[in-house]
Amino acid sequence: MADDVLVEVRDLDMAFKIKGQRGQPAMLHVLHKLSFDIGRGETLGLVGESGSGKSTAGRILVGLFEPTGGSVKLFGHTITGPERRANLAAVRPRLQFVFQDPHAALNPRLRVGDSIAEPIAIAGTQSRRDRNERVKELLEMVGLPRDSAERFPHEFSGGQRQRIVIARALALAPGFVVCDEPVSALDVSMQAQIINLLMDLQARFGLSYLFIAHDLAVVRAVTHRVAVMYAGSIVEIAPRNALYDKPQHPYTQALLDAVPRPNPARVRPPVIGGEVPSLLVPPPGCRFHTRCPHAMPRCRIDVPDLRETAPGRQTACHLYDTANA
Amino acid sequence: MTELALDSGQAAVSPVLAPRRRFMALRRLVAHRSFQIGLCLVLVLAVAAIFAPFITGIDPSAMKVRLRFKPPSETFLFGSDSFGRDVLTRVLYGARVSLWIGLVVAMLSGLCGALIGVLAAQFRSLDALLMRLMDALMSFPAILLALGITAALGPRMESVIIALTVAYVPAGARIVRASALVVRELDYVQAARIAGASDLRIMLRHILPNSVSPLLVHMTFVFAYSILAEAALSFLGVGVQPPTPSWGNIIAEGRDYATEAWWVMLFPGLGISLAALGLNLLGDGLRDVLDPRLKAG
Amino acid sequence: MIAAPLVSIEDLTVQFRTDRGWTTAIEGVSFDVAEGDCLGVVGESGSGKSVTALSMLRLHARGTSRFARGAVRYAGQDLLRAPERNLRKIRGRDIAMVFQDPMSSLNPVLSICDQISETLCLHQGMTRAGARQRAIELLDLVRIPDAARRVDEYPHRLSGGMRQRVMIAMAIACRPRLLIADEPTTALDVTIQAQILELLRDLRAELGMAVMLISHDLGVIAEFAKRVIVMYAGRIVEDAPVDVLFNAPRHPYTEGLMASMPALEGGTERLYAIPGRIPDPDEPIAGCRFGPRCAHIKPICQAAAPELVAIDATHRVRCTPRTRTSDMT
Repeated sequence: MADDVLVEVRDLDMAFKIKGQRGQPAMLHVLHKLSFDIGRGETLGLVGESGSGKSTAGRILVGLFEPTGGSVKLFGHTITGPERRANLAAVRPRLQFVFQDPHAALNPRLRVGDSIAEPIAIAGTQSRRDRNERVKELLEMVGLPRDSAERFPHEFSGGQRQRIVIARALALAPGFVVCDEPVSALDVSMQAQIINLLMDLQARFGLSYLFIAHDLAVVRAVTHRVAVMYAGSIVEIAPRNALYDKPQHPYTQALLDAVPRPNPARVRPPVIGGEVPSLLVPPPGCRFHTRCPHAMPRCRIDVPDLRETAPGRQTACHLYDTANA
Repeated sequence: MTELALDSGQAAVSPVLAPRRRFMALRRLVAHRSFQIGLCLVLVLAVAAIFAPFITGIDPSAMKVRLRFKPPSETFLFGSDSFGRDVLTRVLYGARVSLWIGLVVAMLSGLCGALIGVLAAQFRSLDALLMRLMDALMSFPAILLALGITAALGPRMESVIIALTVAYVPAGARIVRASALVVRELDYVQAARIAGASDLRIMLRHILPNSVSPLLVHMTFVFAYSILAEAALSFLGVGVQPPTPSWGNIIAEGRDYATEAWWVMLFPGLGISLAALGLNLLGDGLRDVLDPRLKAG
Repeated sequence: MIAAPLVSIEDLTVQFRTDRGWTTAIEGVSFDVAEGDCLGVVGESGSGKSVTALSMLRLHARGTSRFARGAVRYAGQDLLRAPERNLRKIRGRDIAMVFQDPMSSLNPVLSICDQISETLCLHQGMTRAGARQRAIELLDLVRIPDAARRVDEYPHRLSGGMRQRVMIAMAIACRPRLLIADEPTTALDVTIQAQILELLRDLRAELGMAVMLISHDLGVIAEFAKRVIVMYAGRIVEDAPVDVLFNAPRHPYTEGLMASMPALEGGTERLYAIPGRIPDPDEPIAGCRFGPRCAHIKPICQAAAPELVAIDATHRVRCTPRTRTSDMT
C-alpha cells in the first residue's frame, strides 16, 4: 500500500508576512500542521469555508508556494527542504492544476491549441506535429471538436473553457491533479457535465485528485475521502460516506446542517452563529471553540490534535479524546 | 414525475461551435466615429508627407528672392517665405520630419517602456531600482529634459529623437507595470508557472501581450506630444536645424515676420494642430474599443 | 385573487444594445407579487432573473437598454413610465433592493452610520442625531453584535457577512413593502449564508414585508421561498408553490435542474447532465428556447414558441406538450 501513496503531506505550515495593525509586520498563519495522504486513483476532497486555507494548500502541492514548515512528498520526491528545485523539476510533468475561474485561466491572446500545448512545449519533449496531434486528441477527450484548437478563448462559453482548462491539465498525462473549485463558477446545468468528465477521466487514466471545494453536495459526488478544514487546520478526515452520514467534529456537523437542501419540507436544524476567527489573532486553544455548541473549558486552552478515532478516520476534537492525555 | 429518457453516459456536449466572428475588435474600431476622423486626418498628413516631392515638384530650398513674402496665390499656394521659398513645399517636407520623429519616438519609448514595465513587475528587486529611476526622469518636465539632452548631444534630428524617447519612457513604463502587476496574478500565468515555464517565457508570452493595451493608447498620445515637443525644440533652435524644414523651425523663421507674412507661421501651425488632433482622436477610439474588453477580461 | 397584488409585472420585455443591434434579455415576463409574499426566482446565467429585478425599479443604463413592451404596476403607477422623481420616492422606501457582492456595494469612504443615515434622512427627513439612533437600532435588528460601536466603523473593517447585514439594514431602514434580494448570499460562506437566510426569514415575519429572493441555488430557494418562479433564457418557464415545484415539477428544464444537482445524501454514482449549453440571447432558435436541450422535444415545440399556461390556480408552465389539455391529469 505504501507504494500507492502518491502524495504525502506531514505537518505542513504556511505563514505569510503581512502588514498587521498599525503597519507593523505580522505573520499570518494560513496553514497549521496539515497532514494527509492521497493514494493512486483516489480523490481526496478538501472542504472548508473562507479562511480555511484550502486553496493555499492546493497551491503548495503544485509548487506555487514554498511552505514555511513541514514536508510534502510527491511521487516519492520531497519538494520541501534543500532538494526542492531539483525534485520539483523532476515531478512537474506529473502534477497539474485545474482553476476555478474559466475566464481567467486561459491567456486571451493565445489560441486554445497553444494554451493546451503549453505544458508540452515547456517540457520540450515532442515535435510540433506530435504536439498538434496530442492537442486534438485532448480536445476529443474532453468532448470538444478537434478544430477548436484554432480558436481563441473568448469564442467559448464558461463550461467549454473549463473543458479546455482540463485538456491543458491532461497534456502531459499527469498522475495527480489539484482541482481548485473547478465547477463553482459554472452554471448548475454545466456543473454536472464537468463533474462527470472529471470522474470519467479519473476512471480512464487512474488519476488522483485533490478536490478543493466549498459545495458539500458536489464533494460528495466525486470524492472517496474528505478532509474538513477550519481556520487553517484539518479538523476531520474520513471516508466519504462515513463523514457525511456520521460526522464527528462539531464543525463538520454545523457545515452539513447549514447546506440548504432542495427539500422544502425539511426541518431545518439550528443555525450556527459567529464567524471564522481572524487568522492574525486566532482564539486560544481550539480555533472553533468560539462557535462550538459543545465547547468545554478545556477547549479554550488546549489545541486538539488530529487523532485516529476509528480505522481510517481522524478527528481533532476533545470530545473524542478518550485517551485523556 | 416523468422519467428522464436521456442517458447521459458520455459527458454530452454540443459538438458544433458558434460560427466564427473574426476581428470583432477591429470591426468595432473601424466603426468608431472618433477613430474614423482621426485616421482620416492622420492618413491625409501621412500621404502628403510621403509624396511630398511629387505634390508640388518644387525644391524646398529653391529660393526666388524676387518673390519673397508673397501671400497665398496661384503660384504659391501657401505663400512664400523670407527667402522666396514655397511654403507649401516646405510644410510638406517638414511634415516628413515631424511625423517621422513622432512615430519613432512613440515606437521606441513604447518598446523601452514595455520592457521596463514588465521587468519591474516580474522581479521585485528590480522594481524598486527601475521605478526610482523612472520617477527621477519624470520629475523633469519633458521639454527641459529634452532641451538638456539635445544641448549635450548637439542639435539635430537624432538628438531630438533620443531626448524625447527618454522623456516619454517613464510614463509608458508606469502604465505597463500597472497592467503587468495585475496580469501576473491571473490564473493563466499561474498555470504557466505550474507547468515550469521560465521567467522569460512568462514575461514574453503571457504578461507582455496582455499588458500592452493601455500602452497602445498611450503611444498615440506620445506621437502627438512628440510632434508638439519637436516643434517647440526646433522653435527654440535646438532641434532640427535649417535648412532642413521641420514644422517647428519654419514657425521659428516666420516669427520675425509674423505681422507681414502671417502665412509662414499659420500653415505649419495648422499642420501641427491637425496631426495632434488626428492622433488624439485615433487614441480615443482605440481606448474606447480596448478598455471595456480589458474589464471583461 | 382576492386582494390586488402589491406589484404586478406584465409582459415585461427588455432589450440591450450590442454590436449587432438590439438583443432581447427578457421577454414576456409576467407575474404578481402579493403583500407579504415570499417569492423565489431561480435561474442560471442568461435566465434574466437579475434583469427582471433591476427592471422593476427601472435601474437600467439608459443608453444601452430599453423596455420594448410591458409594465410594472405599483400603487396605481406604471414604474416603467412614471417620472423619475416618483421612482426616487419608491426606491429605498417602498421597494428596496439588496445586491450580491457586499464587497462592492458599500462606499468605502463613508462610515456605516453615514450610509444608513443617508436613506433615513432622504426618505424620512430625520435629523442626523435621530438617524444615528435609528441606525444603531437597525444594526441590532440585523443582529450585528456591539452595534453602538460598530455603527461608526468603515466597511473595510467588516467581514462579508457583516457587510451584507449592513446592506440589509439599509434596505429595511424605511420599512419597505417589498425587498428584492438578488443573490444575497452567493458570495458568502455556507454557514454565514444560513445565518443571513434565517435573518431574512425573521425580518419578513417581523416587518410583514414581501421578499423576492433571486438565486441560482435550488437549495436556498427551497428553504426560503413559498412560491417559485423558474426562468430560462429570458423567459419564465415555470411558476408554482414551492412544494409543488420540488415534488412534481412540470417543465423539462426544472426536472433537468433537479436531477443534475448532486444530493447531499449521496446515492447517485453518476450525475444526470442536461446536454448542450445555455443559448446566447441572440441565438436564433425556432420555437421553444429550451428545445435543443430537451429530452422530450416534439415537433410542435419547434413549430411555435410555447405560451405560459396556467394548469391550475397556482401553477403555470411554459411547455406546449405538458400543458395540452389532453395531457393534463
